[in-house]
Parts: sequence; structure tokens; C-alpha cells
Amino acid sequence: MKIIKQTGIIFTICWLSIIIQQILPFPFPSSVIGLLLLLLCLLTGLLKVSHIQEKSDFLLSNMAFFFIPAGVGMMNYFDILKENWFSLVVICVLSTLITFAATAFSIRLTIKFINRRK
Amino acid sequence: MSEIFESPFFGIALSIFAFWCGQMLNKKTGLLLLNPLIIAIVIIIGILLLFKIPYEAYQEGGSIINMFLAPATACLAVSIYAKIRILKENWLPILTGCFCGSAASMLSVYGLCRFFGLDDAMTASLLPKSVTTPIAVSISESRGGVVPVTVVAVIFTGILGSILSPLLIKLFCVKDSMTAGLAIGASSHAIGTSKALEIGETEGAMSGLAIGICGIITVLLSMLL
Repeated sequence: MKIIKQTGIIFTICWLSIIIQQILPFPFPSSVIGLLLLLLCLLTGLLKVSHIQEKSDFLLSNMAFFFIPAGVGMMNYFDILKENWFSLVVICVLSTLITFAATAFSIRLTIKFINRRK
Repeated sequence: MSEIFESPFFGIALSIFAFWCGQMLNKKTGLLLLNPLIIAIVIIIGILLLFKIPYEAYQEGGSIINMFLAPATACLAVSIYAKIRILKENWLPILTGCFCGSAASMLSVYGLCRFFGLDDAMTASLLPKSVTTPIAVSISESRGGVVPVTVVAVIFTGILGSILSPLLIKLFCVKDSMTAGLAIGASSHAIGTSKALEIGETEGAMSGLAIGICGIITVLLSMLL
């Protein structure tokens, strides 16, 4: 019953987030609305982590499994991938380097800034 | 004959079997490149092609597994909440870092896609590639991207990040654990985080925090771009 209750809580949040998505005047992914909604419930104390602990552990620790069907969809796009594989690899490598550097340097600057003000 | 494959049980059972094989292989070899998700995808595509099973039959079960992505994304809130104290104490560097990282990722992908002359659909598929898969998939979908390409790019980026991050930490002389962790999480989401956890506890926690925050920031930025 415990797991059913926890599933009920999480699925209700997902359903509510779809309702909110319909109401919002701009497109916003419902899964991220769900994330914010759950965070809000936890921060306000409406929900406690213990209310959803087991179900959320199950979902988070098996996250990779839930992507299998999306990845298998790749078989319908072999031609696009074959045609663009070189640019895809270069884009992924370069932008990973740039993202890492931008994050590290901006934090370094921020910390310096904070320390100087102290 | 094809009816027997159209039961949702077929797709789900095949996925579980393939993922189990992937985890076994990954554990046995310890190779990062043999990511369980990649192995599972290869096994399933191989079996479908070999036995000429239509993709649509597999998706009868696949769509049920797919349904769990939304609740799994929502649960990222639990991992952000678990680190709420670190976030409150260091909110300024964490938010600036995640913001600059997400912006740099999207702008560099956008620029490179233009440079290589990729079409709008491909650009939309690659744009969110540095964030965690569930969020990347929803951004790609809403911008008219090709979701499977997004999934492949996200996993590839993650593996790349976890291989490169120890080198990058040295290259950019990152001495602070918080900075290292956030940079790993911002550039290579959950797969990078597993590497960050190996480097240190603070690195791991920070990397985990960056996944959720960069995800939210990237959604907001993608609405502007």
C-alpha cells in the first residue's frame, strides 16, 4: 500500500502539472512544472520526503531505463545520423568544453567578487 | 504472427532484458563507453531488425515505459531538496555558474549548428544536449526537434564529460571542489555526476545540484532563444 500511495502522490503531481501546462499562456514542459511543483510542496512542508522516498528512489535510480524507448526511436533516423555524424561529434565535444569552462570561470569570478566585498 | 509482438508485454520485457544485459556488461568491463543505456538500445534495435519486428509493435510496450519519464523528472526535486542547505549558503556562485554554463552550452551549440549548416530540426534536437535527458527531451520536443537524436546526443555528451572532466579540472586549474562539481554537472548532467562522485563527495553533491538547476535555467533560456 505504501508504494501505491507514493505512486499516487507523484502521479497526481504529474497530472496537476499537465493541467497547469494547459493554463499557462506560453509553452513550458509539463515535466519541469512537475519538478517545480514537487519542490514547492517539499519547501512549504506540504509534503515530506518520507511521503515519497521509496518511489522517488526507484524512479531516480532507474532513470536510464526509462529512456530506452526514446533511444530505440533512433532506428527511424539512421539516415540523418549517418549524414551528420561528423558535425554531431564535433558539436558535442566543443560545446562540452565550452560549457565546462564557462561554468568554472564564472564561479571563480563570483567567488572573487564575494571575497572582495567582505 | 506479428500480433504476438504487439502485446505491450513484449516491448517491456525486451527492454528490461536488454537493460539487464547492459548493466551486466558495464559492471564486468567497467568501461564508461559501454553505457548500459547504449547497450540496451543497440540490443533492442538489433533484435527488432533481425526478426523484422516493426518498431510500432515495440512501442506498444515502449510508450508505457516512456510514461515514467515525467514522474522521474519531477523526482529530481527530491535531490535538489536534499541539498537545499548548500544551495542556501552558496546561492550566488551556484546560480551564476549554472546560468553561465547553460547559456554557454546553448549558444555554442547554436553557433556550431549554424556553422555546420544543420537544419532547424537538428539544431532544436541538439540545443538542450547538456541537460539531463527528461528535460532535454521536453525542450527538443517543444521546439520541433528529433527526440531520438536528442537522446543520443545527451548520452554522448554525458560520457564525454565524464571522460574529460578530470583532464579539464587540471587544464583550467580548478582547485575548488564546489566549482569542479558544478562545472561537471552543468556540462555533463547525470553521467558526469557519477564521475564527480568518484572524485569526491562535495564534487558529487554539487554536480547533482547542477543537474536540476541547469535543467530549469535551460528551459527558461530556450523560451527566449
